[in-house]
Amino acid sequence: MKINEIVVISGKGGTGKTTLTASIIPYLEDLVVGDCDVDAPDLDILLDPKIQTTEKFIGLKKAIIHKEKCTNCGLCHTHCKFSAISEDIVLTTSKCEGCGVCEFVCPSEAITMEDAVVGDLYHSTTTFGDFIHAKLIPGEETSGKLVAEVRKRAKKLALEKDKKNIIVDGSPGIACNVISSITGASKVILVTEPTFSGIHDLKRIYELCQKFNLKTQVVINKYDLSPTHSELIEEFCRENSIPIGLKIPFTKKIVQSVVKKKIPSLEEKEFFKEIGFFDFINTLT
Amino acid sequence: MKIAILSGKGGTGKTTVTSNFAINIENSIAIDSDVEEPNLHLFLGGQKTDTESVFTSYPTIDKDLCTNCGKCGDFCNYNAIIPAKNQVIVFKESCHDCGGCKLVCPTGAITYEKREIGKIIKDKTSFGGDLFYGILDIGEMSGVKIINNLTEISNSYSSNKTVFIDSPPGTSCSTVAAVEEVDYAIIVSEPTPFGVSDMKMVVDMLQEMKIPFGIIINKAGLGDNEIYEYCKDKKVEILGEIPFDKEIAKLYADGKIFSSSLPKYQKLFKDIYKKIVDRRRAL
Repeated sequence: MKINEIVVISGKGGTGKTTLTASIIPYLEDLVVGDCDVDAPDLDILLDPKIQTTEKFIGLKKAIIHKEKCTNCGLCHTHCKFSAISEDIVLTTSKCEGCGVCEFVCPSEAITMEDAVVGDLYHSTTTFGDFIHAKLIPGEETSGKLVAEVRKRAKKLALEKDKKNIIVDGSPGIACNVISSITGASKVILVTEPTFSGIHDLKRIYELCQKFNLKTQVVINKYDLSPTHSELIEEFCRENSIPIGLKIPFTKKIVQSVVKKKIPSLEEKEFFKEIGFFDFINTLT
Repeated sequence: MKIAILSGKGGTGKTTVTSNFAINIENSIAIDSDVEEPNLHLFLGGQKTDTESVFTSYPTIDKDLCTNCGKCGDFCNYNAIIPAKNQVIVFKESCHDCGGCKLVCPTGAITYEKREIGKIIKDKTSFGGDLFYGILDIGEMSGVKIINNLTEISNSYSSNKTVFIDSPPGTSCSTVAAVEEVDYAIIVSEPTPFGVSDMKMVVDMLQEMKIPFGIIINKAGLGDNEIYEYCKDKKVEILGEIPFDKEIAKLYADGKIFSSSLPKYQKLFKDIYKKIVDRRRAL
């Protein structure tokens, strides 16, 4: 069975990825949910998950310096390309990318590479289905690996439990975390806002999706805040034949739902009906 | 003095705050370290005066020297170099440029070649000060190298100018690279559950890095009181507040800096800056 995996991303932060993802969730059946925004995860706030298991996620090995064996020769310092080891041989763990060069060049076996925990990985249950989420330890490398692991687990669960749909909340940006979130996805939703920055960032994230041959559609959030910029977004979408799945007007009702930690599309069902949200949902399955 | 502006959650107003400081604080320069989605130049930019490419390296194999021993592949922790049956295959994008494969190669078959991953652009702004921003090429995995180069630029100015650094969202390696060695950090947050939750991760990160910091609450009045309670409870200083105001949102949408159009807000940024100078002096 082919799983329908929908990923929500935006390029620019704060355009409404999590709010939109949470709003879609109650209306997709046969669902597994993943939160790939591992260094600012918020979907759990609206889903009220019951955590079933918590695991430490080991992203890579990191250097440990055993001072008692160190002769202060400085070879590790001169060879480290990440400036993770200072002249007086002190390691800044957050800078270590785990390459192992220092261990290799050390003549006195004073450095070993050891497993490093980079975050927590959770399997939870919610009213709407299983939920895989994670939390990166601030400043850690290899968040891309943690993102990939969240997706892998979600897919595994979907296969085991015979679920047709997966929805994934992505992170802002265009680099490793985002690339790990989108590769091989069935559908990608690009959430944007009608601002100068919003358009600039939408173009970059769209280009990234094109590189990976992904099927995309655009959602314009708060589209009525700037008709001029909304029109520019629509023009860009027309030129590139990107469907616009949904246009959401600004309303304080959505913020108020979030503040109450409630899913906006459940709290304000009438408003969502009026803006054609349920037609949009039909395009996702 | 170097001041980083960061947020955890995206879209809370980092770029808005950075641009308002840059135009209101004399003798300042601005740096945009959000190299994945840089926006500061959309607000501050003027004349492009310089563009510099940023490179990373990747291994190339001299087939005549390679004995296919497989040591490079065993050493590489990123699966960037894989010895296949008859030749060694290199995945440039996965390479972290650590230099390990060359070190372990017994026949000297490995050398490195450069490839561009992005640019650093210098702009003369319409407000007098310089702006430097990095931009990562689309499809690249990591902007940390570009951010490190921007840090060198900001270090070269910080002794006689105030450097405002617009940092990436989140708390991953890019953010750490952007705030490294700063004298003070400003967290821009919004009074919503998402804003507060992500801000807590930033607070943890800054405390771990021993960087002094304060908070600016943006879109004040939009959400609830959780952020105020958190700050009171954790003894985190609120440096100032920017109200939720559709006029400000509209100016932002058009790429305008709001205190330039609404001069009543200029004092807000000047006062916050004064507070930061005092806090630094007290340390």
